[in-house]
Amino acid sequence: MRIDCPHCGSRDVQEFIYLRDAGPRRPDGMAATLAEMHVYLHERDNPAGRHRELWYHGSGCRAWLVVTRDTRTHAVFAVEALPASVESAST
Amino acid sequence: MAEPSSSAAGWRSQSAWAGVAVSGHLGADGGAGVTVCCLRDVGMATLIAPKRREAALIAAVEARYGMRLPEDPRTVENGGVRAVWAGPDQWLLVTADVSGVETLREVIADLGAVSDQTGSRAVLRVSGRAIRAALAKGCMIDLHDGSFPVGAAALSSIAHIGVHLWRLADGPDGAVFEIAAPRSIAGSFWSWFAASAAEFGCAVVVES
Ligand SMILES: [Zn+2]
Repeated sequence: MRIDCPHCGSRDVQEFIYLRDAGPRRPDGMAATLAEMHVYLHERDNPAGRHRELWYHGSGCRAWLVVTRDTRTHAVFAVEALPASVESAST
Repeated sequence: MAEPSSSAAGWRSQSAWAGVAVSGHLGADGGAGVTVCCLRDVGMATLIAPKRREAALIAAVEARYGMRLPEDPRTVENGGVRAVWAGPDQWLLVTADVSGVETLREVIADLGAVSDQTGSRAVLRVSGRAIRAALAKGCMIDLHDGSFPVGAAALSSIAHIGVHLWRLADGPDGAVFEIAAPRSIAGSFWSWFAASAAEFGCAVVVES
C-alpha cells in the first residue's frame, strides 16, 4: 500500500502511522457525560469498504492527512491535507 | 570554527563521525564507485513559520539571504546558506558553521521559531557512478533525474532511521546528495551505508 502525501509525494505505507476514523470529534472532557465519552471512545463503525481515516506522515513531513481507503483492498481513493483548524481540534 | 567557549574546561567539539568512519578505501578493490565525505561543523537550524503567517517569514528570509524558502520539497542555496524544505511551513537551514545560526536568529526575530540543530545531525555528502545503486538498498525514494532532479529534497527513512536528504548540483561523477541523520545514531546509519557501498568500492573522506 502506498499513500500519495499531498506534501511529499507517493510513499510506502511504512512511513505513516494510522490513528483512527477521521469522523468523530472528541467531546469536551469536562462537559461530556460518561455516556457521551463512551460513545466517542468505543462505538466506532468498522466498515468493510470505504473509510475516511486520519494518518500521520511520521517518517516524512510530520503532517496529518485524511486518507479515504477501501479497508478490503487497501485501494486509496483520496488523500487530503488536514486543515489547520481541524488539526488543533482533533489531535 | 571558533573554539567552543567551554574549551577552558577541557571540552572539545569533535566530528559526528569521529570514532565511526575512517578516511580511506572501503570494500571492493579498484576504482571507487561511491565517494562519501563525512562533514563536520555544519551549522543547522530548524525554522518554523506560525500558522497562516508564513508569508512574512518568507519575505524576511528573501530580503536578507536573497533566496525564497521553497514551499514544496526542494532546496535552495545562496551565499553559503542553504534552505531545505522540511514539511509544510518548516525548513532546515544549513550554514557553513554555527555563526550562521546566530545571524539567522536576528533576521527571523519574532517572525518564526528558530531552533539551533548544530551538532544534532550527522551529514554525509555522497556521489559516484554507483551512488544510486548503493542508496537503493535502503532508500525508498526514486533518486533518478525524472523524480529527484537537482535541488530536490525529501524527508524519509533509510534502514529505519529518519533522514533528511537533498540533491546538490552535479559534480564530475554525476549526482551528489547530502543526507542528514540524527547524530545519536550516526553509527547505525554508517554501518548501513558502509555495507551498502562496499561492493562498489567506496572512497571515504572524514573531515577533521
Ligand atoms: Zn508527507
